[in-house]
Amino acid sequence: MAFLVHDSRDLERRSRPVAGDERARSSKRLWRIDLLQAALAASVAIAIALFLADGGGARFATPGAATTSLGIIAGLVATDLVIVMLVLAARVPLIERAVGHDAAMALHGRLGKPVMYLLVAHGALLLAGYTISDGIDLVAEAVTIWSLPDIPLAVIGFALFALVVVTSLIAVRRRLRYESWYLIHLLVYGAVLAALPHQFSVGGLFAEGTWQRWYWLAMCAAAFAAVLVYRVGAPIVLSVRHRLVVDRVERLDHGVFSIVMRGLDLDGLHATGGQFFIWRFMARGQWWQAHPYSLSAHPRNAELRITVRALGTGSADLAGIRPGTRVALEGPYGIFSEASRSRRRIALIAAGIGVTPIRSLLESASFRPGEATVVLRTPAANDGWLLDEIRSLARSRGATIITIPGPRGATGWVTDAAAAEGLSLATLVPDLPDTDVYVCGPRAWSDAVIADARANGLKPEQIHHERFDW
Amino acid sequence: MRPRALLLASAASATVIIAGWQLGTLGAVTAPVAQGGSQTVGTTRSTDAATSDPGTADAGTSSDSNAAIDSTSGASDASQATSSTDGTYAGSTVGTRFGDVQVQVTISGGAIADVTALQLTDHDRRSVMISNQAAPILREEVLQAQAASVSMVGGATYTSEAYLQSLQAALDQAGF
Amino acid sequence: MIARAFGAMGTVVSLRLDGASDSFDADAATAAVADAFARWEQSCSLYDTGSELSRIGRGELALLDAGDDVRGAYEIASAWRSRTGGAFTPHRGDGLIDLNGVVKALAIAESGSALDRLGLLRWGIDAGGDVLVGGGAVGTAAGAWRVGIVDPADRGELIAAIDLAGSHGRMAVATSGSAERGDHIWTQPDASPIFAQVSVAAGDILTADVLATAIVAGGRTALEEFTERFPIDVLAVLVDGSLMATPGWPREPAGCRA
Repeated sequence: MAFLVHDSRDLERRSRPVAGDERARSSKRLWRIDLLQAALAASVAIAIALFLADGGGARFATPGAATTSLGIIAGLVATDLVIVMLVLAARVPLIERAVGHDAAMALHGRLGKPVMYLLVAHGALLLAGYTISDGIDLVAEAVTIWSLPDIPLAVIGFALFALVVVTSLIAVRRRLRYESWYLIHLLVYGAVLAALPHQFSVGGLFAEGTWQRWYWLAMCAAAFAAVLVYRVGAPIVLSVRHRLVVDRVERLDHGVFSIVMRGLDLDGLHATGGQFFIWRFMARGQWWQAHPYSLSAHPRNAELRITVRALGTGSADLAGIRPGTRVALEGPYGIFSEASRSRRRIALIAAGIGVTPIRSLLESASFRPGEATVVLRTPAANDGWLLDEIRSLARSRGATIITIPGPRGATGWVTDAAAAEGLSLATLVPDLPDTDVYVCGPRAWSDAVIADARANGLKPEQIHHERFDW
Repeated sequence: MRPRALLLASAASATVIIAGWQLGTLGAVTAPVAQGGSQTVGTTRSTDAATSDPGTADAGTSSDSNAAIDSTSGASDASQATSSTDGTYAGSTVGTRFGDVQVQVTISGGAIADVTALQLTDHDRRSVMISNQAAPILREEVLQAQAASVSMVGGATYTSEAYLQSLQAALDQAGF
Repeated sequence: MIARAFGAMGTVVSLRLDGASDSFDADAATAAVADAFARWEQSCSLYDTGSELSRIGRGELALLDAGDDVRGAYEIASAWRSRTGGAFTPHRGDGLIDLNGVVKALAIAESGSALDRLGLLRWGIDAGGDVLVGGGAVGTAAGAWRVGIVDPADRGELIAAIDLAGSHGRMAVATSGSAERGDHIWTQPDASPIFAQVSVAAGDILTADVLATAIVAGGRTALEEFTERFPIDVLAVLVDGSLMATPGWPREPAGCRA
């Protein structure tokens, strides 16, 4: 059972001229994504090529030499991927605007285990290879290698890295408090720094005078610089420039509230609906918590607004934030916004507190009357946070709103009753194949919406998904 | 990955790897090195045309940029090559954990007769050397020899007079 | 194997010659070697008062105006001086340029090239105790040489032996010691010599000769530094009669050790 809260479907005018520039922009963005992925692959290839350019291709004649060479290659690829991971986490605008923060962090996470395997292979293969070449026994070889300069330091770096990766495994991370996990994760910088010296002092590939040395140094320096500038420097500059302060806290419902903040020159943030920031509220006991929250309204009247649902102790404490508290912010992040549009029409699907970015998207996305559909899963008929605002926006902008109230369905993303009636994306959203679908809500539910969209033949670049759980 | 991204990535990676491979093979076997030539340091000496010249320093090239440095004390440098291909050639560079070792290939009768590894001096490259430290040793431990089992004798220089009483004189007279 | 000997540079040069065929011309080979030594002696020996170097020493000739041989030898000696941090130097305490340290080695090396060009299978040159070997058979089993090292305490006995032209890349062995004429060893003034004799085996005779001199002059620190920096093998006889050797200097086969 679904409710047609506002119907604008007849407002659409068929005489729209050629498709807007969404396709062009989307095509450019897709090119950027492809080039970034190619650059990632190329950087790994370069790491291997550095070894080959040093004559490494000829060092596979004997078993010992071949094992050693493989070990060196494993180390090179592992370090290159670590550099990539650093850059992915640095929130570089180029990557941000192409794939968005979520995708970048997802890839960052996926690279952790392969890098670990490569590092273990690096150590094992080198130990084995040198043992074979030198003809002494394993223990003696290990002792010899340990006595080389910078190797003990590198082993410490490896141990730190292993600690970081292990604590990031889902199973382990769940048991840790976020703050503990975060502090341990910071150790990875120490791990990288500890492992760097041995790369330049042992083995000769990056010894003084080689051009490979300059490339490697430059790469490491660039990665650390990116982290410093975009993760440390930019937020500081941002916070100082805009001087954000809490203006008021509005209670919407039990456990749901909006925080409105005021600041200077908010247009300079270039934030649009759908994007999120990482907020730090400078109050006692709060300043060390970083909250990622989407804007729930387009920046307007020198005000920024987020709408929060108290789900854990961190968010619950926010309800007590006092007006006048200073706010530090990082962002805007995310491509759950106009930036990722690729089609004329737009469908916004939300459930629960996922309605926040949907509501701000509804405000700032560009569409003509009748080309936008909003579908909301709500607990009960006229429930739904921010529903009033959404309704008035729909009225003024010519969007169609459909609510599907009720408990979670057995399968799929609609209620069982609605599913029985044959309600799905195809029947709810007119002209679905020519639509950008934006989904925000709990993970399992979002996956069901996305599955529905894919089943209807939508391409990946038409489906946009905001995840709240990283 | 989208197909186009896969294509770009493969093309870029292949190009890079091939380029690296090519650069690597450039540093392989180089100009002939005649054994026994004297070593000069990056200077060209023109000498009498009649006799051989310990000539231009041709550091056995490894692929690193310091090809011009006085590479190995072991490899004498490109003097006149003998007219046949026999001779000693600075060969490919082998990587060990102690840094690069340049291989010296000796060709005799047209076939590779010996391959020895010369360690590049660490003059400009900070590679870690295999420890070559001299340690105390007992007289019985060094390789012993009787005068009858050697063909020549080395030692501190003797004068012509001292030669007459030397082991070398005895060997020379025996006509070895 | 044909043995020849002749006097040059105040010492005696001994040759071992083995030709490819029975009819190789040993006399021609010997003459080639003698010519090389004579030429170097003529330009660079301080013992010949008419040599260019002697004339430079007396101030009659400027170094820049000297022939290629002298200038080339001087450049080589200077390069080795900087490489050994001054342990080896062509400059005598009184400012005189003494190239004896490199000239003999250069003459040996040039002789070797001449013998190579003549196509000899195996040849060995022993010029006053410095040995260089070579020839077409280098690297084969037949091409190896065993060279004895004289005991400085008893010049009629051998203290050790070393293999040349084997698989280790050693082609030359040079020995320097306080027992020799000692012309070109300018020990650091405040250090009393710790080594009575130092034998250095290397890939070429110049390196071996220079480093042997440098280690005698520079003492223990020189020994530690140069064995690390250069691919050489060293046998050092200390003034108290004890020995020191690098790991690569040949030992008695394993059966004799515990």
